[in-house]
Amino acid sequence: MKLIKLKWMLMPICAILLAGLTSACGIQSQVTIGTQTYTESKIIAEMYKALIEDRTNLNVGIIPDLASSSLVINAMKRNDVQMATLYTGEIFNNHFPISGSKDRQQVLKEAQEGFRKYYQFSWLDPLGFENTYAFTVRKDLADSKGYTKITDVKKDMDAMKLGVDTTWLERSTDGYPAFSKAYGIKFGQVFPMEISLVYSAVANKQVDIVLAYSTDSRLKAYNLKTLQDDKQFFPPYDASPVLRSDLLKKHPEIQEAIAPLIGHLDADTMIALNYQVDIEKKSEREVAVAYLKEQGLLKS
Amino acid sequence: MNAFWSFITERYPDILKALQEHLVLSFSAVILGTIIAVPIGILLVYNRVGWINSAVFFIANLFQTVPSLALLAILIPLLGIGMKPAILALLLYSLMPILRNTYDGFRSVDKGVLSSAQGMGYSTAQTILKIQLPLSLPYIMSGIRITTVYIISWATLASLIGAGGLGQLIVSGLGVNKPEMIFIGGIGAILLALIADGLLGLLEGWLGRRYHQTRESAV
Repeated sequence: MKLIKLKWMLMPICAILLAGLTSACGIQSQVTIGTQTYTESKIIAEMYKALIEDRTNLNVGIIPDLASSSLVINAMKRNDVQMATLYTGEIFNNHFPISGSKDRQQVLKEAQEGFRKYYQFSWLDPLGFENTYAFTVRKDLADSKGYTKITDVKKDMDAMKLGVDTTWLERSTDGYPAFSKAYGIKFGQVFPMEISLVYSAVANKQVDIVLAYSTDSRLKAYNLKTLQDDKQFFPPYDASPVLRSDLLKKHPEIQEAIAPLIGHLDADTMIALNYQVDIEKKSEREVAVAYLKEQGLLKS
Repeated sequence: MNAFWSFITERYPDILKALQEHLVLSFSAVILGTIIAVPIGILLVYNRVGWINSAVFFIANLFQTVPSLALLAILIPLLGIGMKPAILALLLYSLMPILRNTYDGFRSVDKGVLSSAQGMGYSTAQTILKIQLPLSLPYIMSGIRITTVYIISWATLASLIGAGGLGQLIVSGLGVNKPEMIFIGGIGAILLALIADGLLGLLEGWLGRRYHQTRESAV
């Protein structure tokens, strides 16, 4: 008697599990795009998808929220993902030997050559905007203390709490130790956290200063002020589409499909698009497709 | 392997700091959780109003099913960042197993034993302390042990809200492409969980023996 009851209870559970398994192995996409955890990379991935599906016969899938750019790169190396958006400053993340130059053109060149040589990736030309690190404070604090550039906070550094993403403290060339050396600044307390949380943390006065990403719309929404990098410490971070070279060889039409985006997105456009997702709560796909339509880039 | 050892030797102060933060996070949560959940469990055993029991178990269960990252993010406006909200989130997770096991342990005590205690003129407090608590000790301890192991692994998420811990090594290792950091963070959490479980096992044995002695001296 008991057993029969158990069987009836287990049936729906098995059904749910089966449904989940079969849906996961549904339509085979020939191209999979990986994205980082922040909105911008998801919007751009939706743009690639819309353009590729519009102009070629390929199916595109997206795997969102990979924890870090290094994870994205490793997933591409394993061929779990074939395409992503990466930033030229990525070369400072211990992937291969670099010259250490911070010149914009030179860093792009090293990224393109290095990833071709060591990873067999094709690093296409930049989309047209940089998403760099930006030291940011609340506007009222900046106004009352007269902060305009990073050097200005040095006098108050011991009393300040810094919020940063989970990676920056460990980065060798453009991370905290190198920054402290360049500016002579060490903050009183440092809280590493998920990047999406730093904006509300500084707005809610949980921390005094945060290292934000420059194209994040929440800088505007929460009334935050970016301090000028007066010692030009941070390297360039030009966003580019990156693909596995073997995929491009097999399907050169992908590069033609996304070509209209190259050099087409400037920082203000990107901030506005991020704003529509992060603040106005629209979906990444909706925002990406609307933008492409408005620019006349979608055929269908 | 070389990178692994050089990382340990170069960065051992940071590793120790992460370990210490992790210990503080996990054990504060487990100790507070025990202090809260054991008395509530006992109260529920003596409570005769059915819906209150269901409600309390429902709420404790709810805490367990909320995805931890969501909980941590929700807590930011209320409690800010760092240790405090992380400990609170972990504490909410620890309640259910301890509560459930305390309740079941007390319920498992033989009715005959309870009647004899009553016959011998034991007060309710004496019955709880001298009979029910010792007899249900294995249940309660197993609840605490399960929770501790869970909490140690969940505490790795605390790094997302600036509370540090071993999770900090894992996420920054992911970020800067240093597998040795991810390994050390992960292995550290595993070792910590195993050691904590072992120590609690020893504590359980010791408490059990103490209880046996009192029983024999009573005889």
